[in-house]
Amino acid sequence: MQLKNVIESPCGLRFMLDQLELQSGFARRWLLDLPMMTRGEEIAAAYDELHRFTSFVEQVDKTRLDTLLFRLQGLKDIRTTIKNLHNKAVLDDIELFEVKHLAILATDVNTLLARHDMADVVEIPALDEVITILDPDGMKMATFYIYDSYCAQLKDLRAQIRQHPDHQDDLMLQASELEETVRQDLSRQLHLFAAAIEQALLALARIDVDLAKALQMRQMGMTFPTLTDDGTTRLEAMFHPQVQQALSTRGREFQPVDIAFGHRPTLITGANMGGKTVVLKTLTLCQYLFQFGFGIPAAKAQIAVKDEIYFCIGDDQSVEKGLSSFAAEMQNIDAVIKASRENKKLLALIDEPARTTNPTEGAALVTALLQVLADKDMSLVMTTHYDIESGKARCLRVKGFENGSMDYRLVEVQDGEVPHEALNIAQSLGIDSEWITTARKLLESAVQHV
Amino acid sequence: MKTSSGVFTDTSGNHCVQGVPFINDILRYDSLSIVGLEKNTGKTECLKYVLDRLPLQDKRIAVTSIGIDGETVDQVTRTQKPEIVLREGMYFGTSETHYRQRRLVSELIDVSDESTSLGRVVTAKAITGGKILLSGPSSASSLRRWMGEMQHRFDIDLVIIDGALSRMSSASPAVSQSMILATGAAYSVNINTLVSKTAHVVDLINLDMTSSPNLQTLSPLEKGLWFIDKDGALHSLDAMTSLSKDIHFEGMDGCETLYVAGALVDGFLEKVRKNKSLKQVELVVRDFTKIFVTPQQFRLFLKAGGRIRVLQKSKLIAVTVNPTSPSGYVLDSDILCGKLSEAIGLPVYDLLKNNHQCN
Repeated sequence: MQLKNVIESPCGLRFMLDQLELQSGFARRWLLDLPMMTRGEEIAAAYDELHRFTSFVEQVDKTRLDTLLFRLQGLKDIRTTIKNLHNKAVLDDIELFEVKHLAILATDVNTLLARHDMADVVEIPALDEVITILDPDGMKMATFYIYDSYCAQLKDLRAQIRQHPDHQDDLMLQASELEETVRQDLSRQLHLFAAAIEQALLALARIDVDLAKALQMRQMGMTFPTLTDDGTTRLEAMFHPQVQQALSTRGREFQPVDIAFGHRPTLITGANMGGKTVVLKTLTLCQYLFQFGFGIPAAKAQIAVKDEIYFCIGDDQSVEKGLSSFAAEMQNIDAVIKASRENKKLLALIDEPARTTNPTEGAALVTALLQVLADKDMSLVMTTHYDIESGKARCLRVKGFENGSMDYRLVEVQDGEVPHEALNIAQSLGIDSEWITTARKLLESAVQHV
Repeated sequence: MKTSSGVFTDTSGNHCVQGVPFINDILRYDSLSIVGLEKNTGKTECLKYVLDRLPLQDKRIAVTSIGIDGETVDQVTRTQKPEIVLREGMYFGTSETHYRQRRLVSELIDVSDESTSLGRVVTAKAITGGKILLSGPSSASSLRRWMGEMQHRFDIDLVIIDGALSRMSSASPAVSQSMILATGAAYSVNINTLVSKTAHVVDLINLDMTSSPNLQTLSPLEKGLWFIDKDGALHSLDAMTSLSKDIHFEGMDGCETLYVAGALVDGFLEKVRKNKSLKQVELVVRDFTKIFVTPQQFRLFLKAGGRIRVLQKSKLIAVTVNPTSPSGYVLDSDILCGKLSEAIGLPVYDLLKNNHQCN
């Protein structure tokens, strides 16, 4: 699974990518094509690399950093040209220019990074010989044409062309044949470096991505995670950057949340507007960011590696594909159950399952789901409004509405009993009082009836 | 280089008599577009004329074209269309396809990320003189970016745009500081009609710029209808374009600026003119190429006290004429130049007839 397959996940991954200040379009494409990491060593190595870049970004002076970032803006996707080089094709002037441009860029970036002992982090192969081949006059300029010094005969012809503009066409034809011979010769020489050129191209994209991730970590106040191997995940003061930004434009603050979970299913209950969905969104986001090697939006993060991540949220887009919201949801959760039988390490985050059906059947479906998934080797975090048997699940509850404001923190409770705050919250929203009062009376008579 | 005897010397040592039309005027600006009112109005001839005469020893010149242009034979009228002859040292932007067909030696300095139907736009410097087909950036933003790169990265003193007036291309020649307009028998074979139609376009090109606070607010808006109220706040009208049938100028009392980001058409102009509450309003368009109103409506609007302003304006330096129509009909060049010059108050040249050759 590649990053581009999950970029539209409702957890808000797209926002993080949009906020990532990459210098080149090629780095963005390269990043979107990256597969999700599922091995611990791989993730650890990626964070070691990112660590070097965050320290670099902290230490380097701004002018040097800006120079480096500006240079990376010149990175172009020349994979087609490199493929032609691999295939021993004769490159045209534009392709030769691209190769020279890349070789000079790679050398410059390497020099800039080497000054800060960063040359070993992402290895850029030396392309000095490539530059020499394409820069016969030693001008060190990222420009190109079939220079006079490649061929004495060509030089003479061009001198004649300048002197006899009347015979230009004839002379030009002869010159272009000579130029083609030079191109053949250059392409033959460059063929030996095709692999090194390709490696340099990818290394530059990777450096662009690493720098952007490092700068994003600093800008958003994110942290490096530690990896756990017992399957537990513990996030302290986690936040959702997109929700945080949306709130701050309305002059409000995001209240960070602590949460920890392992193999035991976790059930989150709490009042409406208590941020349960945001908790699931943030958890999903953190897990993806972790497995693609980004900074984690939390004060402290310990995260377990998973093979697959499932985020089932009610308002799924498959409704647009003609499925009813209930059908879409059932199919999504069905995929989780099937995957749980395949001996994979899963993380499933399920938001208010069966919320759109009648409460009797809904509660039965949710209770059963908990039972079916309880013994599987997976991490499950689920939210619900139904009063259900929590069974083996650990129960967390949003602290809720207190003194006119919402406390979004989670507290551990003994059972999954759901809070009865809907009417209070509705009242605080200024909803029609006749409606709310009537509902209160109905509730009271129901209690007396029992 | 200007010498004491008032003579220009170009790189090949040829002398151009000072006083050849408008070359000195061009050098006062950092960008020039050459715009043809119709195909075969002599735009390419004019470009050739300019390129042949610019002094290269102390000026760095870059040339490009907007939209697909530079076919050896004009696709519409099948008439011969000359390649552009560049001189040694000139910079140029063209498409990959046309770059491969070049007949000169040139050094590549840049390959853009943006693709046109003829491939990416490449920029190069002519090492020898020779022929090239021009086809440059095709969108307004890529043209602006290219011009900026030329001026700031490559220290170009003058950017010349072969500016097709095409509704197919969003790139507008009005991004340049100065402009030469080419008109001729291809636009109309009746001298009086040709003069009045050309004069109308000249009026549009000469429209004044709007005030600078408006510029900053309105420049980023690429489409839609907008107005600025008297407190300087920006509002959007529901209608998407001035073509919409259903336009209500509600809540616009006392507003001073109405901006049409897209095309401005007759019907809309008439509605604005007839709306009593919009008497004080300044109507703003991006540039003259966005105005598609008839001379009659335009005059009625101005007569009623209306004001039209632009966000982008080029200084019109001169008008050139080609008295020969593609069908072969030839107008009297002297009468045409005289009448047109009188109507627009600017010099008008028939470059071919007067044969302002320098070598």
